[in-house]
Amino acid sequence: MYRTVVNRILLTKNTGGGRRCLLRFPDLRTAVSSSRFSTTTEPQTFPNRPLNPADSSTSSSSTSFQTSSAAGDIPRQERKNPRAEYQGEQARVLQASLRHVLRLGWSEEAMIAGAKEVGISPSIVGSFPRKEAALVEFFMDDCLQRLIDRIDSGEELQDLIPSQCIYKLVRFRLEMQAPYISKWPQALSIQAHPLNVSTSFKQRAMLVDEIWHAAGDEASDLDWYVKRTVLGGIYSTTEIYMLTDSSPEFRDTWLFLDNRVKDAFDLKKTIQEATYLAEAVGAGMGSSLQGFVGKVIQR
Amino acid sequence: MYLNSYNLPCVTISMNFTSVMFSGFKEVREEEKSQMVGKVFSNVASNYDLMNDFMSGGLHRLWKDRLVSKLSPFPGMKHLDVAGGTGDVAFRILESVNSIKRRALQDPLNDDLQEETRIYVCDINPNMLDVGKNRALEKGLGEDKSLVWVQGDAEALSFEDNSMDGYTIAFGIRNVTHIEKVLSEAYRVLKRGGRFLCLELSHVDIPVFKELYDFYSFSVIPRLGEIVAGDRESYQYLVESIRRFPPQEKFASMIADAGFQKVEYENLVGGVVAIHSGLKI
Repeated sequence: MYRTVVNRILLTKNTGGGRRCLLRFPDLRTAVSSSRFSTTTEPQTFPNRPLNPADSSTSSSSTSFQTSSAAGDIPRQERKNPRAEYQGEQARVLQASLRHVLRLGWSEEAMIAGAKEVGISPSIVGSFPRKEAALVEFFMDDCLQRLIDRIDSGEELQDLIPSQCIYKLVRFRLEMQAPYISKWPQALSIQAHPLNVSTSFKQRAMLVDEIWHAAGDEASDLDWYVKRTVLGGIYSTTEIYMLTDSSPEFRDTWLFLDNRVKDAFDLKKTIQEATYLAEAVGAGMGSSLQGFVGKVIQR
Repeated sequence: MYLNSYNLPCVTISMNFTSVMFSGFKEVREEEKSQMVGKVFSNVASNYDLMNDFMSGGLHRLWKDRLVSKLSPFPGMKHLDVAGGTGDVAFRILESVNSIKRRALQDPLNDDLQEETRIYVCDINPNMLDVGKNRALEKGLGEDKSLVWVQGDAEALSFEDNSMDGYTIAFGIRNVTHIEKVLSEAYRVLKRGGRFLCLELSHVDIPVFKELYDFYSFSVIPRLGEIVAGDRESYQYLVESIRRFPPQEKFASMIADAGFQKVEYENLVGGVVAIHSGLKI
């Protein structure tokens, strides 16, 4: 999850204020920091970084920190930067590894090739806690980030009715996976692995939350869970449908998605009608049952 | 701290010593620690592996397996195993690399890379290296170009800067005289992205288990050494040197001071053994 923050700092191309930032704090288990012996975890040392849109490379962000800080702050900033460096390098390696995924799959070999491309020893692959899963999670975070950028920059989304908005966003998100579709089943199996399930579930939950938020959802009661679950279901089924779709530009997938979204919105009406029906039946049955029981007792 | 009552010839305490190193629980001078360690390992070399099996109940094999799996070796790797005289870790790395090669057959580039894998086994003690070379012959790796046996000092390595992808030191670092020098040498020879891994006997904090472990260390192990290897004093030294070694957190901070990032440690068997790792960026 911390990669979302790192990506925000390193890979975002847009600058300027008014950007919504995901303040997801990293979940690192590092015992010691690089130059000071302390057990502070990352959240305590990155208080301001997510709010400062930085340039797209580590070196320029570190110099911008140093030039903009007062003398008394420099030791503190320099302490932060070395610690951030290895995460930046890891992100660079993962970014480069994505280019090898089509050839080598979501695997250690792709990560080794990525590390070589960036000029870092492939030993760094051993420092990722769950290797291939790290690559897949990085990709998911990256896609989520691009989706958020799209939401932030697209005003026309607010004019659409919710079902159309959801259709557009889910389609946009799934199109990001289109280049990797031949290897996507492998990514799904990695995400389903017991060790990785919790992280991938969280990432999907965040994704679904973002989409509903963009579609203008204000609910905060039980409805919230129902809506997220339904959208999660739509997203997953479309994703899986896409795996076996061979139509040009995934036309069939988008048709499938359209139908599912319509069904879901019809479902709301359907549930209401079903409730009325149940009440009517209950009322009818209740009175006839009463009559029957009454007759039995009279005898 | 108490002075041990053994009367080994290499223990001297003079009035104007320049620096005193604590080794085991005896006070020895710095210059003499390496001599003493040399003597200990020349004595134990021939029975080293056997004694390891006895003392750890065979667990040391699993610990070394864990170390190598944390390392994630790859074909074409240049690896340095320090104080790895009898070759345990080096053989495991080689096996791991060769199996990866078989798995990655689809990538034609890797066939050339396989030739480039080099595992340097460095040890200060020639007796330990000889035992290692013999074991390599027994395993059929005598002609393998990938294994290179080098005699050298961990505090002053003969390798170039930024030349190694990985550095491991298994059960060796507590025997060195200057831990900081070893760590900075490790930092020097590693490439960017290279990893430092250290497997070492460490400190146990769990209440009841600690007492059991202490009893085992001080009563059982020297006795075992006497029976199996005929050398009680070397194993007494061993057990005492474990207690003198810095605890996990302190050692981790020393690694960080040498310049490594992402310093972590993993306790095995409740802290009897710890694997510290660091990344050079």
